[in-house]
Amino acid sequence: MSKELQMRAAINQKLIEMGERERLKELLRAKLIECGWRDQLKAHCKEVIKEKGIENVTVEDLVAGVTPKGRALVPDSVKKELLQRIRAFLAQHST
Amino acid sequence: MKMDDMSLSGLDNTKLEALAHDIYSDLVEDACLGLCFEVHRAVKQGYFFLDETDQESMKDFEIVDQPGLDIFGQVYNQWKNKECVCPNCNRSIAASRFAPHLEKCLGMGRNSSRIASRRIASSNNTSKSESDQEDNDDINDNDWSYGSEKKPKKRKSDKNPNSPRRSKSLKHKNGELSSSVNPDLYKYNYSSGISYETLGPEELRFLLTTQCGVVSEHTKKMCTRSQRCPQHTDEQRRAVRVFLLGPSASTLPDPESVLENDGYDTPDGQLIMPRLQWDGSSDISPSDSASSKASTNNSDSKRPKKKKKPSSLLVSSAGVCEREKGVERGERERGGGGSSSSVSGLGGAGTSSSNSQSALALSNRKKRPRPPPPPAPNIYDDLN
Repeated sequence: MSKELQMRAAINQKLIEMGERERLKELLRAKLIECGWRDQLKAHCKEVIKEKGIENVTVEDLVAGVTPKGRALVPDSVKKELLQRIRAFLAQHST
Repeated sequence: MKMDDMSLSGLDNTKLEALAHDIYSDLVEDACLGLCFEVHRAVKQGYFFLDETDQESMKDFEIVDQPGLDIFGQVYNQWKNKECVCPNCNRSIAASRFAPHLEKCLGMGRNSSRIASRRIASSNNTSKSESDQEDNDDINDNDWSYGSEKKPKKRKSDKNPNSPRRSKSLKHKNGELSSSVNPDLYKYNYSSGISYETLGPEELRFLLTTQCGVVSEHTKKMCTRSQRCPQHTDEQRRAVRVFLLGPSASTLPDPESVLENDGYDTPDGQLIMPRLQWDGSSDISPSDSASSKASTNNSDSKRPKKKKKPSSLLVSSAGVCEREKGVERGERERGGGGSSSSVSGLGGAGTSSSNSQSALALSNRKKRPRPPPPPAPNIYDDLN
């Protein structure tokens, strides 16, 4: 198990070093804005903020309220594309 | 690289798939966290709800789609037919034409009608036109602040009687102005001066001994320049002294005889010829400067040009070389046969000194601005 954790850390390190993580992040961002995920989440944020009050709302409140919905709202096509690229990266560097 | 190879080679497909999903969820959570930071910042800065507007306010700012209005519901050609009232002539002029009109109306432009109308007005009470004085007006005029070096050029164009602009302005501005008015009459006013009517006799006398003092026919003011001012002729100066001070003007010191000695070496024959000519035609009256007789215009306009210089020279040299001149003058006068009464009076003065008084009076009556130098008869006495 420690070996697996070690391997994960190594993979993440590799992702950052190669700049692939930044590229993936940017791709995801563009895709999510394109499909309206961002606007949906903003609307959800407004609900959370109104619930808590403009003055009292914190980042933690927002993260706790928004992240589950954000995960669920990502379209399947975006998810598939992203996973495809991650797999390709892994395959490239596992051999 | 070695470690990667070793670790990844030991993984099967399911573990690789789990790894990929972990990375994916990391990325999505990153995106969510970024959005949360962004929204939180917007809320705390107060601009998160700016794009939220209620329906009533949205109605106020709806895009207007009607003919004749722009998208804000305003009439877009409301400036098109605005009119401005000219402060000078009180006419209302379309805004687009206002600047050109003002240029003409206020006289800022080259062919300003204000200059033209002013000149027309001044030409109506012009008494006589003396072309040399006119030219001097152009040079010394300080009534018009606007580039004095342009004036001679401009006058040339103004003098053209065939100019359509001039004939038009004549017709418009002054209906009764007849075609007999010479374009040369349009003069600039020279404003430098003082009104002689407001002065006492003593002041008048003082002024006349120090200044030119010729009364302008336009402004009725006295010229305040020096005795030798080029704008006026010596005979004008003499005329105004006789007019203002009466025959006693003869008692005034003759400034020219003191100041101007530069005519000294001019041949005497040349000096006296114009003098005699001048005496013969000396029918200028002091009222000429104030009257508006156009009939005298032609003779007057020609005469001073010819005589201005010689007559001044004569007077200037009169005080200095009286003797020689006296001789020549006596001969001339006799030879001239008394072509004019003043000359004959002078000739008579040669015979007896008591006649000099009558000659003086005569010359004054004949409006000769300045009597002959008093010592002359004595010389004649010596001669005879």
